[in-house]
Amino acid sequence: MSTFDEAARAPAVPAPVAAEAPAPRRPLLAGNWWRHLVAIVAIVICLFPVVYIASAAFSANPSLTGASAIPSKLTLHNFGLLLHGSTATSEQTFASVHYVRWFVNSMIVCFSTAILTVLLGALAAYAFSRFRFTGRRMGMLFLLLIQMFPQLLAIVAIYLIVLKVGGVVPQIGLNTLTGLVLVYMGGALGVNTWLLKGFFDTIPADLDESARVDGATPAQVFWGVVLPLATPVLAVVGLFSFVFTLNEFAIVSALIGTKNNFTLPLGMRGFIDQQYGQHWGPFAAGVLIAAIPAVLLFQFLQRYIVSGLTAGGVKG
Amino acid sequence: MSTTAAPTPTPTQATFKPSYLARAIAAFSGWPGLVVKVAFLGVVNALAVWAATVLADQSNWPAFGVLVLFTLLIDLIYLVPRRPGLIPLKFIVPGTVFLIAFQIAPILYTVNVAFTNYSTGHIISKSGAITAIKENSLQPAQSGTTYAMAAARDKNGDLVLILQDSTSGKTYVGTKKGLTPIPRAAVTLKAGAITGATGYTLVPVKELAAIGQQLTDFHVPIGENAAIQPQGFDTAVPLQPTLRYDPERGVFVRISDGAVFRDNGLGSFVSSSKEELEPGWATHVGFRNFSRAIHDPLIRKPFLRVLIWTFVFAGSTVFLSFALGLFLAITLDKPGLRFQRGYRSIMVIPYAIPSFLSLLVWGGLLNDDFGVVNNLFHVHIPWLFDPWMAKVSVILVSTWLTVPYFFLVAMGALQAIPKELVEAAKVDGGGAFQIFRRVTLPLLLVATAPLLIASFAFNFNNFNNIYLLTGGGPATNDQPIAGATDILISYTYKLAFATGKGNDYALASSIAIVIFFIVATVSGLSFWRTKALESVR
Repeated sequence: MSTFDEAARAPAVPAPVAAEAPAPRRPLLAGNWWRHLVAIVAIVICLFPVVYIASAAFSANPSLTGASAIPSKLTLHNFGLLLHGSTATSEQTFASVHYVRWFVNSMIVCFSTAILTVLLGALAAYAFSRFRFTGRRMGMLFLLLIQMFPQLLAIVAIYLIVLKVGGVVPQIGLNTLTGLVLVYMGGALGVNTWLLKGFFDTIPADLDESARVDGATPAQVFWGVVLPLATPVLAVVGLFSFVFTLNEFAIVSALIGTKNNFTLPLGMRGFIDQQYGQHWGPFAAGVLIAAIPAVLLFQFLQRYIVSGLTAGGVKG
Repeated sequence: MSTTAAPTPTPTQATFKPSYLARAIAAFSGWPGLVVKVAFLGVVNALAVWAATVLADQSNWPAFGVLVLFTLLIDLIYLVPRRPGLIPLKFIVPGTVFLIAFQIAPILYTVNVAFTNYSTGHIISKSGAITAIKENSLQPAQSGTTYAMAAARDKNGDLVLILQDSTSGKTYVGTKKGLTPIPRAAVTLKAGAITGATGYTLVPVKELAAIGQQLTDFHVPIGENAAIQPQGFDTAVPLQPTLRYDPERGVFVRISDGAVFRDNGLGSFVSSSKEELEPGWATHVGFRNFSRAIHDPLIRKPFLRVLIWTFVFAGSTVFLSFALGLFLAITLDKPGLRFQRGYRSIMVIPYAIPSFLSLLVWGGLLNDDFGVVNNLFHVHIPWLFDPWMAKVSVILVSTWLTVPYFFLVAMGALQAIPKELVEAAKVDGGGAFQIFRRVTLPLLLVATAPLLIASFAFNFNNFNNIYLLTGGGPATNDQPIAGATDILISYTYKLAFATGKGNDYALASSIAIVIFFIVATVSGLSFWRTKALESVR
C-alpha cells in the first residue's frame, strides 16, 4: 500500500518544475487563450442564425434583402403581419396564413403525444421492471428490433390504414388531429420503454414491497411509489417526445390536408417555400414564437437531459 | 461494459420532500386513478360499440370480429378481479394496442404492398378495372344521332335527363337505370330547346355549372353496353362500346379489328402489340419491385445514386459532428476555465431550438439571391441550387444541428473517465496527444459507440434535414423524382406522395423494406459487438 502511495505522489514532484520551466517547451498552447478562442468561434457559429432571425423579426423591413445583424429600428411590425395579416398592402399575401391555428394545433398534438407517450411507456416499463412473466425478455428485444422500422418507413401503410379507419370512425380519420396523435402513439413503446425500465430498475424494490405489505395494489404501487420517484426520467422522456413530435413533418403531411389543421412545420414550410424574399420578416417572427415552448422546456429540464442522453445509450 | 455513470438523481433522500409534479402523480394512486380507469374503459367500450355498428352496417365482418374480440379481451384484463397472471398484462396492453395498430400492422401492410403493383393506375380490384375499361371504351356512335337534352330533377330530387331524339322527335326520360319514353305532350319545347317537362323540375341555368362534373359522369344505359351521355348542357349523344369483354376467356376484344387484350399477370390487359388498357388493377407481382431496382435502368441509376449518397450523408454527418463535439468538449473540459458554464449553455442552444425551425432558417440564410451568407461575404454561391454545393450545404447544416448533441454526450463521457487512468498515463511519460490517442479516445469510443450507431441510423432516415432544406433538390437529369440531395427515405416519400408524378406505393414500400434491412444490419452488427443486449436481465 505504501509503495502505491509513493507512486501516486510521484507526479506531484515534477509538476512545479514544469510550471517553472522556461517558455520554449510549450509556448503555443500554454495558458487558456486558445480554449477561449475556440469557444468564441464556436459560439459565433452557433448564434449566427439566431442573431439574424431575431434581428429580422424585430426589423421594420419584412424582406430578406438587405437583412443585417443589427436592425436599424426595432418594431413589432412583423409580428403584427404574421398574427393579423391585415396591413393593406400585404392582405393578399398573408390571407392564407393561420399561424395561430398552427401553433395551437402543434401544442395540442405535442402535449397530448408527450403525456400519453410517457404514460404508455411507463406502464409497460413498470411491467418489464417489476414482474417476471413468460415472453418478458422476448418482448424487450422485440421492442428494440421494431425500432429499426420507424413509422416513417411505413408511411404509405399508415396513410392507407388511417384512410380506412376514417371510413368507419371519421373523428379519427384523415385530416384530424386526434387521428394524428393516435398514430404517434404507435411509437410510444420502444426506446422509451428501455429508458424508463432502466430507471425503474434503480428504484429499490424494497419500497414496492413495503407498500405491498401495507396492502397497496400493483396499480397503487405504480402511481404512488414508482412514478413519483421517477419524475426526472419521465420529464426527459416527455421532453424528447415533445420535441420529436414538434419536428415531425412527413406523417403530418401525409395525413393532414387542410390548412386549418396544419401543425407548425407543415404550415411554416408552406409559408416560406420559395418566398424567402417577401416573407422573411414575418417568418422570422414566427420562428421566434415557435421556438419558445421547446426552449423553455429544455431550460427547465436541462439538468436531467445529459444523464438521460447517456443513460439511454449506455445502459440501454 | 463501461458505464457512463449517469448522474441519476438518487431516489431516496434523508429528508424526503416530493415535488409538486411527484405529488400530483401520486394522487392517481387513490380514487382519481380509479375514476380515470373507469372513464377510460367506458370510452373504449363506447367507441368499440359505435365502430361495431358502422362495421356491421358495411358488412365488414372480419374487422367486426377482430374489434369485438379485442374489446372483450381488454374488458377481461381490466375487470376480472386479481388474477396474478393478468396483472403484467394490465400494464403492457395499453401501449401494445397502439403498437399493433400503428406500428406492427403498418409494417405488415408495407411488406404486403411491396409485393404488389399498387400504384397510380393499379389501385382498384380486377372486377372494378373490367367495369371501368368497359365504360372507358364507350365512344360516340357513328350513326350521328343526337338528343336535345335538359337536366332535371324528379319527385325525389334525383338528377334525370329529359331527352328528345333530334331525328325522330321522340321524347324520353333518362335515369341511371335506363331510358323511359314519355308522351311528346309532356315536354315543352322552345326553338328546339327543352324548357319544361310535366312532373319534373328543370335545373335552373345558373346552377348547371355547379353540376357539370355530375353531368359528364351521367350515363343512361341503353341496351347491351351502350349508353347516352350528355355533351355540354343541352345535348346528349349515344355511345357505343369499342371493346367487348369475353368472360369465358377473360379477355377484351377490340370490336373494330378483333385485337385481343390478355391479362398479363401484372395487373393489366395487354394486346400482342404491347398496347395496354387503362386502368389496370392491384395484384401481387412477387419480387418484381425489387428486381426493377436491379434490372430497370430507369430505376437502378437513381436508386444507386441515392443509396450511396444516403451512406455518405449519414456517415459524414455523424463523423463530423462527433469529431467537432468531442473537440469542443475536450477544449472546455479544463478545471477552472473562466466562463466555462456560459460557453456550454450557449453551445447547446442549437440543440434546444426545434430543428425544423433551424432547417427552414438555414434554407433562407443560404438562399443564393437574398441569403445572408452570400450578402455577408459578397459572393454569389448557389448553396442550395448546385448539385454538389447542395450536398455540401446539407452536410454542413446537419453537422451544425448535431454537434451540440455530441458535445453534451462527450462532456458526460469525459467526466466519467477515471482520472487515475489519465494520471497513470502521465506518470508513464505520455504526452497530451498520446494520452488522448491511447487512453481517452478508446474509453470514449466504448462508451459512445451505441450512440454513434444510433445517430447513424437516425441520420440514415433523417427525412427533415433533407426535405426541409432542399426538398431533395436540385433536380437532376437522369430521373424526374430523385433530386441531387434525396436520401432513400425522402425518395420513398416522393415516390409515394409526389403530386403530379403518380403515386408508386409499391416501389416506395419495397424501398422502405430495403432501408429496414440496411439499418437493421448496421445496428445489429454493432449492437452485437458492443453487447448492449447483455443488460437484459
